[in-house]
Amino acid sequence: MDSISPVIDGFGVVMQPENLLYCLIGVLVGMLVGVLPGLGPAATIAILLPLTFAVEPVTAIIMLAGIFYGAQYGGTITSVLLRLPGEASSVVTVFDGYALARQGKAGTALGIAAIGSFVGGTVSIIALTFLAPLIAGFALDFGPPEYTALALLGILLVATVSNGGRLKAVVAACIGLLLATVGRDGFTGAERFTFDSLSMADGIDFVPIAMGVFGLGEILYNLEQRDAASRPPAKVANVWPSRKELKQSSGAIGRGSVIGFVLGILPGGGAVLSSLAAYGVEKKVAKDPSRFGKGAVEGVAAPETANNAAATSSFIPLLTLGIPANATIAVIFGALLIQGVTPGPQLVEDNPELFWGVVNSMYIGNILLLIMSIPLVGLFVKILQIRGSILAPITVLITLIGVYTVANSTFDIFLVVVFGLLGYLMKKFGFEPGPLVLAFVLGSLLEANARRSLILFEGDVSGFVTRPISGVLFAAFFIVVLLPLAAFAWRWRKAADAELAHPSGTDGTDGADDDSATGADDTTDRGPADTDTPVAHTTRKEQP
Amino acid sequence: MTEPAREALTPEELAAEWEESKPPAAGPVANLIAAGAVIAFGVAGILMSLSLGAGSLGEPDAGSWPLVVSATLTILGIALAVRAGSTHDAEQFGRSSLTVLAALATMVPFALVVGVIGFEIPAALLAFVWLRFLGRESWRVSIVGSVLMVVVFYLIFVLALGVSIPHLF
Amino acid sequence: MQRRTLTRTGAVAGAFLLTASLAACGGNLGGDEESSGEDFPDGAVTLTIGQDPGGSTDLIGRALADPAAKDLDESMPVVNKPGANGAVAAKELEGKAADGQNLMVINASLIAITPLAVSEDEVVDIEDYEVVTGISQDDYVLVANPASGWKTVDDLIKSGKKVNFGTTGVGTGSQLSSQLLFNQAGVAGEDVPFDGGAPAMTAVLGEQVDVASIQLGEAYPQIEAGKLTPLVVFSKERNQYLEDVPTAIESGYDVPVSQYRAIVAPKGTPEATIDRLEEAFQAAFDDPAYQEFNEGQLLTPHEISGDEVVKEWTEARDSYAALVEEYNIDMGDAS
Repeated sequence: MDSISPVIDGFGVVMQPENLLYCLIGVLVGMLVGVLPGLGPAATIAILLPLTFAVEPVTAIIMLAGIFYGAQYGGTITSVLLRLPGEASSVVTVFDGYALARQGKAGTALGIAAIGSFVGGTVSIIALTFLAPLIAGFALDFGPPEYTALALLGILLVATVSNGGRLKAVVAACIGLLLATVGRDGFTGAERFTFDSLSMADGIDFVPIAMGVFGLGEILYNLEQRDAASRPPAKVANVWPSRKELKQSSGAIGRGSVIGFVLGILPGGGAVLSSLAAYGVEKKVAKDPSRFGKGAVEGVAAPETANNAAATSSFIPLLTLGIPANATIAVIFGALLIQGVTPGPQLVEDNPELFWGVVNSMYIGNILLLIMSIPLVGLFVKILQIRGSILAPITVLITLIGVYTVANSTFDIFLVVVFGLLGYLMKKFGFEPGPLVLAFVLGSLLEANARRSLILFEGDVSGFVTRPISGVLFAAFFIVVLLPLAAFAWRWRKAADAELAHPSGTDGTDGADDDSATGADDTTDRGPADTDTPVAHTTRKEQP
Repeated sequence: MTEPAREALTPEELAAEWEESKPPAAGPVANLIAAGAVIAFGVAGILMSLSLGAGSLGEPDAGSWPLVVSATLTILGIALAVRAGSTHDAEQFGRSSLTVLAALATMVPFALVVGVIGFEIPAALLAFVWLRFLGRESWRVSIVGSVLMVVVFYLIFVLALGVSIPHLF
Repeated sequence: MQRRTLTRTGAVAGAFLLTASLAACGGNLGGDEESSGEDFPDGAVTLTIGQDPGGSTDLIGRALADPAAKDLDESMPVVNKPGANGAVAAKELEGKAADGQNLMVINASLIAITPLAVSEDEVVDIEDYEVVTGISQDDYVLVANPASGWKTVDDLIKSGKKVNFGTTGVGTGSQLSSQLLFNQAGVAGEDVPFDGGAPAMTAVLGEQVDVASIQLGEAYPQIEAGKLTPLVVFSKERNQYLEDVPTAIESGYDVPVSQYRAIVAPKGTPEATIDRLEEAFQAAFDDPAYQEFNEGQLLTPHEISGDEVVKEWTEARDSYAALVEEYNIDMGDAS
């Protein structure tokens, strides 16, 4: 196979000491920057572009790719330790990662994340080397209707990440969808819910919302009950995941790699969807789904593996079609332009050593991350031994300064304060913030593609199901939604029949009772009375 | 503060313990208020979406999608209200809830002045208030801690990384 | 009472420590004192970009900032304040001191096209700024999938097909250019807005839409590779990088749409300061690294004087408004 030799040459390029050094610098800078939530990898790379003018193109790109990876891992660190997800694709990691940290197992969470990332990257790069030409057209077959179906499936998955009352989870998701509509409408130019503020014209950024309802909301909530919930764990034990935990998460890492690779090929939203899908799948296949959200290792392993596999496979559209799949890769290739290299469909043919140098450097970046995690994770988890009363102002400052850097505007600081209050109130009233943030991320993807499809179909909704890929996706969607609904209706009728036989049975207000068969495995759920909305059943295994 | 023997606890036991240490559940009134807020939000969304125009299926207008979401939200809000009596996952507000208001109050001045006088002084002040009054740390820890935090932030983000936060020095 | 005193003591102590250890570093806040223009430049000159980092406006700003800073012998930090196609940054610049220490890279589309799509109070007028210099011209090209068999606009018209055309968003030059073309050619078409150039281009490649109007820099690699066919460019004259592709005007349609960029300072900045800045940016334009950058990004230098920029952009705004009126084009809520 002549497709392998440039790959190996690419490794030769990366292994040069100078390139390794720049890769290391990139990963370190990325990690530091990743701690500040507002400053994403795209912005950091743009800011550091001038630094790369003096070095060789390959070296420059290797450093920039290192920043990309380091920032992702930096975001994972803050997600686990402080509940601050810097990137949409690590939102899902927060649920179990933070729960693990509170149990003194932050090291386990971070270690598993590093291992998962490494494996996901490895699987993805092998698949990329061999499969890229075969699946070249896959991304192009995804038009607006297919993205609509995918986003709908994603929203459905959002309901699976929550542990509390399903009804409230759906309410939170709807609020997230509504928040995603703020800003200038991309189709008519109309200002929606901006209250004539120019700062809102482009909508609300992900960072203030995620930082607010997760990070700040949590701090405020803990402030109120400092004596109870915010105690630091008594000891920060087992820095490295145990053999048992590794075994426990090996399935999750395997499945996450595949899901991440496949979904990562789609430009736009691939990484977010893949982390969400991987988490949803793990919860579905788990023997005891109720562990999720309370510190399940698989809940960290799956999304972290998937988003890394997706980041690597997002190079496929670039490799085969010349399309940058996300903003960060677009900036990296903007940097190539400045270096006099034209990225595009011919890049791989014209500059194979450069292309594979970049891809392989991401891989080396993963190995470096894995090696560095061993000593660094031990250092990072020490943060958790700091008293809550001292950690809180540090987190608040990171949040306030971080959101400022999103658009260099104080407006976002006010926004994060407002969303912090919202996050606190949600927690007080028993709403989970996760569905809100995830629905917000998927909201504009869903709306824009649904409306785009309708324009293309001239209002004929049957177009959604007559196209092969979107037809299959919609069929999957309806099976997932309708089957449990049908089962619910069937059981409800049975319950009604039973009531006819025993007229003294349950009255109308607590229809929850007929749910007891499936509700039994959710013993620690708060509010069992809340679990009988139809959506609840989409995520449960029906017991015969 | 009485620390339980934490090492022996499994994740499940820990979760259960946190569950127990929660403040008492709020009654139906709080649930009704939450449901009311959701309904109000939904209705406001419906009204604003209608004023934007819903359009048709072939040419969906700016208000079409928000209208669908707001309507769903309103229905869900009504469902929440109906079940207000049988829901137990809301928590009561107590006197300690006032600290939350105080904490929020410290952030507003920070946002107001950071663009004018740089982040250093407001950040040090905010950290100090959080340490001394919200965290009940000692004077010494509070003063040293707040200054140290700002210095570390400055060194990492301004000097080392050149991040564009407004800074005085 | 005691509490407050101590709070203040803490703050003063903190401020003092910082002053003592880091006094040499200098802040980035800038003074507000009136300037006569003689003492310019006095400290760092901030260049604001109204778009996200990594976009073409951002890259242009960063490519210019380096050599211009060298000529001024002061640093020139680049700050992104994205929002509403640059309107957020432009409105903010209006309130800055008119001393030349704060500049911005502004887009012609914000001045000439955005007003067609947004409400009155969001409109930014170039007359409210002092223009230092024009920078460069970025052209839109209409591309089709080779599978369509179309080589020219005429092929497209003759096909008699209802054309779905992708644009890079509402209120952009991409939307204006394709709307104008299809309206004048009498082609029945549907406007499908995407979120930027890359998704619109992907849609043409995947035959989700028939054609799209995209900035040349984004489409060029695909054109080179033969994966996209350029039908027309929308500039007034042929583009130097696509000599063989006719302009829309040559093909008989009145569609003169290009993206221009310029450097502006707050209104009332002293003439001497503006002159000094113009000199600095001239030096930047002459810098070989910058010229290479222009070629790499397929930008045509358009380094005209400030007065010419005002004249050109105001004329463009008026002619777009007239054309939109004449052909009854719906660009958004304002029309």
